Parts: sequence; structure tokens; C-alpha cells
Amino acid sequence: MTTHSIWEKYQADKAFDEMLSAQSEPRPICETLSEYLEKLGVDALKNRRAAADAAILEMGITFTVYNDTGNIDRAWPFDIIPRLIEFQEWKRIEAGLKQRLKALNCFINDVYNEQAIIKEGLVPAELINSSANFRKECVGIKPKFGTWANICGSDLVRGGDGVVYVLEDNLRVPSGVSYMIENRVITKRIFPELLQDLNVMPVDAYPLQLFEMLCSLSSNENPQIAVLTPGIYNSAYFEHAFLAQQMGVELVEGSDLIVQDDDCVYMRTIKGLEKVDVIYRRIDDLFLDPEVFHKDSMLGVKGLMRAWKAGNVALANAPGAGVADDKVVYAYVPQMIHYYLNEEPILPNVPTYLCSDDEQRAYVLAHLSELVVKPANESGGYGMLIGTQATKKELAQFSKLIKENPRNYIAQPTLALSTCPTLCNDHLEPRHIDLRPFILQGENSFVTAGGLTRVALRKGSLVVNSSQGGGSKDTWIINMEQ
Amino acid sequence: MLSRSAERLYWLARYLERTENTARLINATMNLIYDLPYGIEVGWHNLLDICGVEELFYQRFKNPSEQNVIRFLLAEPTNSSSLLSSLSFARENIRTSRELMPDEAWEQVNEMYLYATTNLESLSNRRGRAIFLQEIMRGCQRFTGFMAGAMSRNDSYRFICLGRNIERADMTTRIMDFGTVLLAENRSQTMREYESMLWINVLKSLSALLMYRKQVRQRIKGQDVLDFLLKNADFSGAVNHCLQEIEGCITKLPNSTALISQLETLEQNLLSVNIAENTPLQLRQILDKLQTDFNALHQHIAQTWFLNHFSA
Repeated sequence: MTTHSIWEKYQADKAFDEMLSAQSEPRPICETLSEYLEKLGVDALKNRRAAADAAILEMGITFTVYNDTGNIDRAWPFDIIPRLIEFQEWKRIEAGLKQRLKALNCFINDVYNEQAIIKEGLVPAELINSSANFRKECVGIKPKFGTWANICGSDLVRGGDGVVYVLEDNLRVPSGVSYMIENRVITKRIFPELLQDLNVMPVDAYPLQLFEMLCSLSSNENPQIAVLTPGIYNSAYFEHAFLAQQMGVELVEGSDLIVQDDDCVYMRTIKGLEKVDVIYRRIDDLFLDPEVFHKDSMLGVKGLMRAWKAGNVALANAPGAGVADDKVVYAYVPQMIHYYLNEEPILPNVPTYLCSDDEQRAYVLAHLSELVVKPANESGGYGMLIGTQATKKELAQFSKLIKENPRNYIAQPTLALSTCPTLCNDHLEPRHIDLRPFILQGENSFVTAGGLTRVALRKGSLVVNSSQGGGSKDTWIINMEQ
Repeated sequence: MLSRSAERLYWLARYLERTENTARLINATMNLIYDLPYGIEVGWHNLLDICGVEELFYQRFKNPSEQNVIRFLLAEPTNSSSLLSSLSFARENIRTSRELMPDEAWEQVNEMYLYATTNLESLSNRRGRAIFLQEIMRGCQRFTGFMAGAMSRNDSYRFICLGRNIERADMTTRIMDFGTVLLAENRSQTMREYESMLWINVLKSLSALLMYRKQVRQRIKGQDVLDFLLKNADFSGAVNHCLQEIEGCITKLPNSTALISQLETLEQNLLSVNIAENTPLQLRQILDKLQTDFNALHQHIAQTWFLNHFSA
């Protein structure tokens, strides 16, 4: 029997804590939760954690990691203490995210068509020409509603000043939404009483919204929709299967599809070939079509680009949408919002130094040990430098990398990501978190209620990626007014 | 439905059926062997023959002892038809077919797999083994029950039904094959004394005893047992019944004309067999031919509906 208070050793550092104020008092929306946890006590909390772990195994919620011995399915790392956000604050974030994706889509459509923003001199032509994700094959295409990035996962962080910043926009094949939904399923099992007492917004509307958005991309009234996965060895296979199942659509691999001479896409069924109208593809651009991109891709479908260009199939996200998923392009999003929407950005960017600019690069190189340096086109937290935690050797290595290929790097100040109480052994400790909401844009826009809160489980760590020791939490949007 | 999905569901059902059959076969044999006198010619080695893994077994072990045979049939990783291999193949197939079935179906199989992998230790003693086998049999039955209660009778269901019945018919002929050993002219006096117990075990290993008794209200005789297992139309494990189930599925699936006529020929051949008129050796040949026919049926199914055989 453990008797100490669960808050006993809780010491928030200088970062903003989501649950406790600077005076170590629970924030208004967290009062009920804080009292509840205190009353429950350590032993009961540990029991609930064990119940959550068992549920994750039984439900088979996994992600795949690769190592030397092959790939293994790991149980999804989940912390049972939820992360809370107040409804009014969330409304503002939601509006900001919709605004942002609208501007990004205007930008992508512009880049592949008129290039007005470049002609106006607001974004340098060099930025597009040198972008690894610009696809010349997409020039002149206008997808329905002008939307290229139909599904976006933006990473939000709260700084030490309490302000929520956008850290990056993932416009290629962002993942995590299935875990957001499954986290809530688990929480309902282990904290049913709390969810009833607090007015928590539900999160399971997403698959239906995704389905409707995908339908809206087709001119066909009852379109045949498929989720295209690289296959069972992909780290996000669980999610691909989950979304196909929730939407009641087919989960296909490249070898299930064929493009015929009529430039239409068909899938191989027990009845023969059946036409496919919309594909939610979870394969990177370069593997989509060996006829156009990587010749040796076994994952894609020969002729898929032909079918897409002919307007016979809708692809979400559209090929080439990744041109805006570039950390240098990111720096221009506030300008895009002004230019295309004539609005003030609701959500701020994290201040960003572009290494391609001589002056800014000089600053970066001089302050490397204080900054976070990121490659323009990587995801999953790979290839980055956290200056405050780097060795001299690593600093020197990055200094060299930046000088060799300045366009490929940006730098940002080290943010003191906000913290949230996390159950570590037998007490709560603050751990750094971020938030990945998912935004849809087709005929209409939609934002998930909250998103996937990712948590760096190692003490002091700022890396929240599940591939690198991160975990996740359920996210509760709390409406205090009702 | 996708050809790939059809194939996965078909194999899911085959592997689950194999898992359940293996568990039941071993359970029944365990109970039998405890009752038999020492030195009788039936024993653990017969299980290897029934499962068709003799050669593979003797590559790894010299002695067909209880421990060796049990370990090999239940948990040996190099034996691709061991219970654990079958169960993990089943799990892999359902894990990759989750978009076709309610979540509970996956959870049933996943829980059973987790149970099996965490309780392997208990297999070394007889008591633990009995509990283990019971739990596996129940798990498979829960899955079947859940499917019966929650699945639409759609194409997905039909491919599951198809896989299950082909595997079941195959297992029944294997066990019948073992039965012909019990009819051998040169069998020992001890065997003759324990004959009815052995035949009861044959029925039990297919969960067929009660249904047999209801149908054949006479003293248990080997030939009657074989006739029942081959030709009975109502018992779920009888080969004839399995073929009818298969026909029921195939008829409702697309492009199946050629398959239906193949199946009808197979059924006619089966019903024309007269067990009493054949020697044990001739029966073995008939059963061997049946297994070859099942294999041809499987090939034809694969050519008609599965991805790797797709020609478009």
C-alpha cells in the first residue's frame, strides 16, 4: 500500500505546465481531474495503468518498428493521465488550423498553376525550384475545390509564454489519428466516471468526416473508395487498416490495383476488375507510380499518375502536395495567409531562421548551441540537432552540413515545450508534450476535437516521436460553460 | 471483395480450424493413451502420421515420446503445422483483414494467441496441457460462435466457411486413415480387446461420438464409424457434409460454374464408396485419392478467386 500523495514529487520546471499553474495550483479546467487523481491514490492509478496496458495488447494497438533483426510490432505506448484543453481556447486553435490549411492549399494550387505569389515577389522562385517535393509532373493540374492537401496533421506546441505555436504542417502522409481514437476507447474503459462528470468532446467523428471528404472529391455520387497502403511492414499499417475498417472501404496494396488502357484505375476482386474513384494513399509520392517516379517501386501502381491527370481518379493527398511540407516553405505561411485570404494569422509560427539567407545563416552558425536545427524535408524527428543537448562533435558536423547545403536547413529557438503530469513508476512527473490535430479539407473543412497528444517519456527529453521513445495521451477538450 | 482479402479470410479459417483440430486430436489421444495397456501398437507416433509430419519430426527427434511428440505438434516453430504456427498464421491473416470484420473477431484471435504464447510453459505437464488445450478449443469455438452471430452471410463469410470446411474434410479423412490401421487383419490380440475404446476415441477426436450414437443405434463397429464419417449428410465433421457446405458457398460466389461441376463429381464418387466391400488397404487408397481431390479443389479455388492467380 502506497500512501504518499501522487503530487508529492511533482516539480514543474520552467516550462508551462498544462495542469498546474506557476503557483502549483490546478488550472480551473483541471481541478476535477486533479482532485480525482489525488483521491484515487497511487495504487489504484497503477491498477488502471495495468488495465490500459492489457487493453492495448488485447485490442492489438501496435506500431511497427524496424531494426536489424527485422520488424516487430510494438504495443502502443500510452500514458493514462489525459491532457486537457479548454473549449474556448480550442475554438480559436481550430479556426487557426482551418485558416492555415486553406492558405496552404491556395499556395500549392498557385505553385502548380499561375505562380502569382512568386511573381508578386513574396516567395522567392528559388524556393520552389530547389524544393525536393516539387513535382514538375503536377504542373497545370487543378484538383477539385483547388485542394491538394486534403488531410493535414499539424504539430502544435505551447511555449514557456503559454502561447500555442505551429511547429510544422505535415501534408504528405501524416499518421497518428487512429491512435487518437483508440486512446479514447481505452480511457473510456479505465476512467469512465471522469468522462461522465466532465464535459469532454467526443473524438470519434473523424472516420465519418474523412469518408465524406473523400466522397466529395469524386464526381460520382456513390464513389468506390480505397485506402492504399504500402503493406503490412509499414510502421503505420495498423492505422491504414483501422481507417479502412472504420470507413467501411477497401484496404488495398499496389498489387491489388491496375490502370487499364482507358486510364481508369481498377481493383482486382473476386468478381473481376472493379473501378476505383477515390484513393486515400498512404504511400509517398515517389513510390506512387513507377511509370513516372521511382522505376523500381513495388508499392505503387503503374499508370496511376496518368489516371489522376485524366481526372479518372482522385488522390488524397494529391501528388506534389508535399511542396508545402517543407520547413523553409513553412516560414512563409503567415505571408500566405495575408496574401491569399487577406486575413491575420490566428496561430503564430515558431520564429524560424532560414539558412539559405546569408544574414540568418550567420546568426544560426554563431548560435548553434542554443538552437534546434532541422532538415527541410525530414519527418519523424530524424536528422535534427538539438543544440542545447549536442556534443561539440555534433555541433561541428551540423555546422559543416549547413554550409554545404544551406537550403536544406532551418533553425528555431529551443522551445521549452509545455509539460503534462505523466505516471512514472509510482508518482506523477512532468513530461514534455506536443499536440497533433488532424485537419481535413475537401468541399468543407474539419478539425479533430483535440488531436494526438504526444509525450516524451524520458525525463527532460523534447523528442515525442513514437519511433524514438515517445508515447501518447488522450486529449480532452473541456467545455466549462455547460 | 478484393481477391487478396478473399485469400486471407480463406487461410484464416483454415488455420483456425487446424488449430482447433490439433487441440482436439491431442486432447482425445491423451485421454485414450492413459487407458491403454503398455506395449499396444497405437501410441503417440500415430499422431505424427495423422498430421503428416513424420519425416519432419524424425529430422529433429529420435524418439516419439510423449514429451517430444506433444512439443512438436503444439509448439515447435520449425513445424509449420504445429498448433502455435497455425494460430500465429491465423492471427497474421486476421490482423491484415481487420477492415472486413467486427473488431471482436480480431480480438478473439489475438487474445487466444496471447494466451498461447504466455502459457507455453504449462505444456510440459499433463494437467497444464489439458487446461491449455481446453482454452484453445474454447477460443476457436468463441470465434466460430461470434462469426455465426455477428457476420452477414456475405462473401467474406463464404470464404471463411469455405476454408473451414476444406480443412475439416481434410482432417476427417486423415483420422479415418488412422482408423484403417485399426481394421488391419494382422492386428494384435490386445488391439482387438480394446477395439471399441479405440473407435470411440476416433469419434471423440472429431467431437462426433454423441452424434454418431444418435444416428447409429448399435454397438460401435469400425466400418460403421468410417461410413458415418465419410457419408453422413448431417454431422458437421462428416466429409459429405463438408462438401455440401462448400457447395453452398461456392454456388453463391461469382464465376463458379466449373468449380461446381468439379465438386459434384467429387460428391458422387464419395457417395459411391462402399466401406464394407473394401479391404483396409483399398480404403487407404480411397482416402489418399480423396485428399488429392481436396488439394485439386483448393488449387481450383485459388485460380478462380485469389490474387496470385489473377489474369487480367
